Amino acid sequence: MTEPTSSTSAAARLEAGVADLHVPEPKADAEALLLKLGLALPVLGVVLILVAWWNAAGTKYVADQMPMLISGGLFGLALIIVGLGLFLRFSLARLLRFWLARLVLEQQAQTDRIVDALAKVEAAASQNRQ
Amino acid sequence: MSADADADALVEPEAPLLQLSGVTAAYGRIQVLHGVDLVVPRGEVVALLGPNGAGKTTTLLVATGQHPASSGCIHVAGRHVNGAKPEALARLGLCTIPEGRGVFRSLTVRENLRMASYRGTDESLLVERAVARFPRLGERLGQVAGTLSGGEQQMLAMARGLATDPALLIIDELSMGLAPLIVAELYELVAGIAEQGVSILVVEQFARTVLGVADRAVIMQHGHVVAAGVPADLEAELSAAYLGASS
Repeated sequence: MTEPTSSTSAAARLEAGVADLHVPEPKADAEALLLKLGLALPVLGVVLILVAWWNAAGTKYVADQMPMLISGGLFGLALIIVGLGLFLRFSLARLLRFWLARLVLEQQAQTDRIVDALAKVEAAASQNRQ
Repeated sequence: MSADADADALVEPEAPLLQLSGVTAAYGRIQVLHGVDLVVPRGEVVALLGPNGAGKTTTLLVATGQHPASSGCIHVAGRHVNGAKPEALARLGLCTIPEGRGVFRSLTVRENLRMASYRGTDESLLVERAVARFPRLGERLGQVAGTLSGGEQQMLAMARGLATDPALLIIDELSMGLAPLIVAELYELVAGIAEQGVSILVVEQFARTVLGVADRAVIMQHGHVVAAGVPADLEAELSAAYLGASS
């Protein structure tokens, strides 16, 4: 039979396990994905431009070079621009969020220090009154 | 106030095992839960009552991660778990015994119990525990589960659930399709399980049967919680919820 201690330990196990549980956060997950996309797209764009340049350099006919220029060069350039935009947008957001969190933390620490100082002043004042 | 009293006041109370706050849920465009609040404290039996279609089973599905909440918060042992996978929650100790028992009808009782050994518990230990709790299952170990009586199937489902040593046992419609005498017998077993410290959330349509063992009860109607409290205080609300009479 299960003893009460077993249920207590089951509750403790649940509490410990739930602290480590991965809970998906759709907004955060999407943001991380877009940041990775912002890194990957410029790389892909550069590769496309290089491939287009390689192919275009291999022929002297302008009619053959034009598709390379459009599908490789322009599309590659578009990928670089979009990718850099995404990277800037989400890396800046991450930086600003971290900055804000740090400000809040420092503010909290400052408030704690003030409260401690006030408590000491109050204690000293009450001692003087006695 | 003394320093000790101050310290006591600062100690945080233990978070309830399960807490739903303002939970809404829908099936497609049809919203079925409209801001449900529910708390299952540690070591208590909570009865979730209400007439057919009140949203009890959906509440249970949302609480165990089997159906997404449209809004509101689900907390398990104090942690926000909206969106967590149901299998992850089950592995941590949220054990559900579904409506209709969910036993493997073509497998024997012993084989059904073996299905609960996925957490690494030894099968012989599982059988031993099950038989100690439900002696009648001991006489039927080799019998195909589909040929058991409804009450015995429910016992098997409970034995399988308890074999995983759950922190919270969630039972959906224990009395479904069973004779009142069997239901009373099963609720005596539930009371015994609760005495061993397991927290239990019972979803039940037939309120009177469960109120005898419940520490708290919550009454739902049309996707809303209409009353919550200790069973003795909910008599009037029960009549209103089931019969539509004003209290």
